[in-house]
Amino acid sequence: MRGSLDPLRSPLARGVVAIGVAALSLAPHSGIAHADEPAAPAVSDTGIDKALATPADEPAAPAVSEPSPPAAPAKPPATEHEGRFSFGSYGRVLAATDAEGRPARDTDIVVHGSRLDLDSYVELELRREDRWPALEAESEVTATLAVGSPLFHWDGEFDARVAVRNLYFEERGLGVRGLDAWVGTRYLRGDNFYLLDFWPLDDVNTLGGGVRYTAPTRTRADVHLGFGRPDNPFYRDLADRPAPLGQFGTATIELLDRQRMIGSARLEQTVLFGAGPGGLKLVGYGEGHRVPTGEREATSGALEAVPQETGFVVGAEIGAFSGERDGFLNLFARYASGIAAYGAFASPEGLGLDRSTAGAHELLLAVVGNYELGAFALQAGGYVRSFRNASVGLDFGDVDEGIVIARPQLWLADFAGLAVEGSYQLAQRGVLADLDPEAEASGAVGSSAPVPLAAHVGKLSLMPFLSPAGRGSFKRPLLWLAYTATFRDDGARMLYPIGDQHRARSIDHFFGLAAEWWFGGTSYGGD
Amino acid sequence: MGLTFALARTAATALALGSAVGCMDFGGLDEKVELGTNVADWRDQVIYQVLVDRFEDGDLGNDFNVDRSAQARWHGGDWAGLESRLDYIAGLGVTALWISPAYRNVETDADVDGYHGYWPQDFTAPNPHFGDVMALRSLVRAAHERGIAVVLDVVTNHIGQLFYYDINLNGHADDQVRGGGENSPVLHINEHDPDFDPRGVQAETSLGEAGPAPVMWKRDPLTNHMPPRPAVLERPEMYNRRGRTLDFEDPDQLLHGDFPGGLKDLDTTRCEVKEAMVDAYARWVELTDLDGFRIDTVKHVEREFWRYFTQKVRQRLAEQGKKNFFMFGESFDGRAELVGAYTKSELPSDEQLARENACVTDGRGITGDQLDSVFHFPQYYTAIRDVFQLGLSTDRIEVLWNERDKYYGLTAPELGTGIPPLSALVNFIDNHDVPRFLYSASPAALHLALLFVMTEEGVPCVYYGTEQRLSGGNDPANREDMWLTGFDTEAPTYQYLARLGALRKRHAALRKGTQRVTWASSRSGDEPDAGVFAFERTGGDAGDSYALVVVNSNAAHESSPAYEGAPMKVGAAPGTVLVDVLAASGASYTVGPGGEVAITLEPLTGALLVPESQR
Repeated sequence: MRGSLDPLRSPLARGVVAIGVAALSLAPHSGIAHADEPAAPAVSDTGIDKALATPADEPAAPAVSEPSPPAAPAKPPATEHEGRFSFGSYGRVLAATDAEGRPARDTDIVVHGSRLDLDSYVELELRREDRWPALEAESEVTATLAVGSPLFHWDGEFDARVAVRNLYFEERGLGVRGLDAWVGTRYLRGDNFYLLDFWPLDDVNTLGGGVRYTAPTRTRADVHLGFGRPDNPFYRDLADRPAPLGQFGTATIELLDRQRMIGSARLEQTVLFGAGPGGLKLVGYGEGHRVPTGEREATSGALEAVPQETGFVVGAEIGAFSGERDGFLNLFARYASGIAAYGAFASPEGLGLDRSTAGAHELLLAVVGNYELGAFALQAGGYVRSFRNASVGLDFGDVDEGIVIARPQLWLADFAGLAVEGSYQLAQRGVLADLDPEAEASGAVGSSAPVPLAAHVGKLSLMPFLSPAGRGSFKRPLLWLAYTATFRDDGARMLYPIGDQHRARSIDHFFGLAAEWWFGGTSYGGD
Repeated sequence: MGLTFALARTAATALALGSAVGCMDFGGLDEKVELGTNVADWRDQVIYQVLVDRFEDGDLGNDFNVDRSAQARWHGGDWAGLESRLDYIAGLGVTALWISPAYRNVETDADVDGYHGYWPQDFTAPNPHFGDVMALRSLVRAAHERGIAVVLDVVTNHIGQLFYYDINLNGHADDQVRGGGENSPVLHINEHDPDFDPRGVQAETSLGEAGPAPVMWKRDPLTNHMPPRPAVLERPEMYNRRGRTLDFEDPDQLLHGDFPGGLKDLDTTRCEVKEAMVDAYARWVELTDLDGFRIDTVKHVEREFWRYFTQKVRQRLAEQGKKNFFMFGESFDGRAELVGAYTKSELPSDEQLARENACVTDGRGITGDQLDSVFHFPQYYTAIRDVFQLGLSTDRIEVLWNERDKYYGLTAPELGTGIPPLSALVNFIDNHDVPRFLYSASPAALHLALLFVMTEEGVPCVYYGTEQRLSGGNDPANREDMWLTGFDTEAPTYQYLARLGALRKRHAALRKGTQRVTWASSRSGDEPDAGVFAFERTGGDAGDSYALVVVNSNAAHESSPAYEGAPMKVGAAPGTVLVDVLAASGASYTVGPGGEVAITLEPLTGALLVPESQR
């Protein structure tokens, strides 16, 4: 593990303070499967101190909570300004097929399912890091470029889906030791659920800024304020108007143009068991959301008022870590209300009678852990989630879902082993299935009454793998082969339209070849 | 599914996934729907017709493609919204609700939406714009709790414009295959809705005809132009395939032509179609405990279908405890002999009967029974339009009424409502297919017409918004958004209707009394009785309850039921004091020794007289 000049700012003390990448499109009301957004494992946020002090090819930090012994603040070296550029990356590539030679598809019916079938994705991160010894301060400019599937050698299209996932400046320790500030666009994420590519508690993506204070008492406080303006009609409505001053043609005006303002606050306290290395981590978290009122143009051409939106998130995490071999167990609880219950970039659907999101809510409970002993490791966890949109009654946008997942691994050598991943998913949508399958087959009218649509999916995967970084659930890079059998009941099949392969099949087979890495980035694996 | 999966599933469930999963409340879905008889006597009912899409939007979650700026588009009303306004409806004195078709429709066709419900695509699935089955069940249950029965609108004659005739055999739907205008008012013959051909629509090429034009199903999920459900209706032979009806007087076209607009005509003489319709619509009742059907386009369907459909529905529901299920049809026609024909119990020829019984699989042979009732369209034209809107003489009403015995069924169908169709005709002043009454008449005339239909023999039916004085013209202008009225219970016509409803409920004579005309006038000018029409109701199932209704449809001057010295004579005993329970003054009139009653009415006013002892 790399050293750190300030252990309380290190990922080890913080546990899994991930600044990852995924789940942007996995809005509560979104579809049943993973969106094709990128994903990434948990990591820590950072300090240039670590980056400067450690070699780049050292193994990545685990996505878990670990202790770090307290250390005395180091005096700034009496040297001149030091600066460097560094490069980091998180990435994964996947080549896969089903039993019929088609591209293998995501088979999950919950919003956050197994990550084994995630599409290829890479982040390329460039940082400029400077240290100002006289001021005992450090600064950093981070730019993270992300590229998603499909890739050129697969579809032959000479283009790419590219996004700037991070672009921010951070100043640490300027004026007050332990006080950091940043401004820019970035994802703010806490501890993750690696197997599901999921951040259960805090996962905010905005353009804004924030401050953080880290106290020697292993206490850390973060506050942030940022904005987002998704490009959809909920936030933005353009209209054509006659060009001004008697000119020909039209001028486009932004009739509705409103931002979603998100403020977040996070308080974390780490408590060691005696002298460590094990301990507890307690996190309290909250968000406030506001979208101002506005007006847009109805089909008739008349202007109609768009109501203000508000929402909040409250949540907590309790984590225990062993301090050895990435052992940890984290429990999460999160409740979101109003606009905050919908995905940050979504156009909320299922509005209430006042045409707002008031009344929408989401409750999430999750547990995740990792245990390693000798040549054996076990990652496991699960979550349950209940989402109700703002509209009265139940509809397809209302969801209750849950998953349990476990991945035991056995190293047969220091660099190779075999993993098995099993998961069970249950999802219920707020709709009734009206058709009687037997009647449907015969062409007659069914006699049965409609029933609630409850869907069940079981998945079992075998994963022989190579791990040049050695033993450990979070050692990367990792190269693996995977076979996954997905078992789908009638309810799960009904989630797909008639004619879809998943509607027709109760069992799917997946054969994949994949690799995953992280190094030197703020996203996964620390610096 | 393997053992592993089963074990995992069991374990996971036990692991309290259920603490958050599976707690959706579908509002009593698990409760069995007990079918019951919710109406004792349909003559006691006042029906209120609602276009669900236009009444109230109670769930924005189903507002797909809503565009309230255009009257022919979806506007967002739904079953939840309707349920939220049941107290408003109950306040009118309404006791039965007629709602739009419940099944899934074509979404939109030729830039007009299927908001009305008469373009069926899937007879088995709920219209997602209106809600799900539980929303409908909730509506019915909430209505029943308020003493309101629910009648579902149903279509059996046709499906939506779901297929086209590939006349030129080129495999796609052409908007014009040839010119028109010779024998057709349609200028551009297209493959969606080609003109009627008694041989069936023919394919044709540049060399001439090429046999029957193939039926080609459209497949556009966005507009829901998809093959129909149940799947048996995908078979081309289930349709008559003769093209658009041009001449409604031609029986062949009337029964076998597509309804204008490309609504494909089902071959309702086929056993498969008969069975599918009974199964589809009886299932809606079994799922929700509905109390009746309003049946669309009755005259476009063969009588043999009505015999089968009504009898098998009655039998199936009666076996489950639902009796008095009221099925009344729409025959949009002013001819009583045609309209009434669907209510008569008449056996066809032995040969025809044998053919019809070939469709019977339960051993219960077909009888002559048909519908329980029909809309009184002949009266709409003769009385509502001619008398109350146009001010023509009132003797035409008497003529119409006197002929009813000839044209309408005099015996109640077996397992039906127990009421002879003649006594349960559904009377109305307007509906969604004709301009609203106020489009061409005054509010005073509206109140007079309402007095007439609320007191005459039969079952009154009020179109939504009448109580708020909506005044739209022809479809779709007569399908206004009800929420724009504010549901004002203090509106004068709301109050008036509520009062009429209360009086109808209080006086059995107005519901069950035998009806007799006491005055009708052939005059419509300056004569002193011009515009007067009067009838009394008593006896029958009403016992000694008595009511006398007098209206003056003349808008120009006061009138009295007397002419050239001959007064109106009524059946009430001499000396009986009759009180006008409608008038605020409570004016009273004493029956003379010869039964005569002298009363003078201001223009466009009426009186509802009951004995003071029954007041």
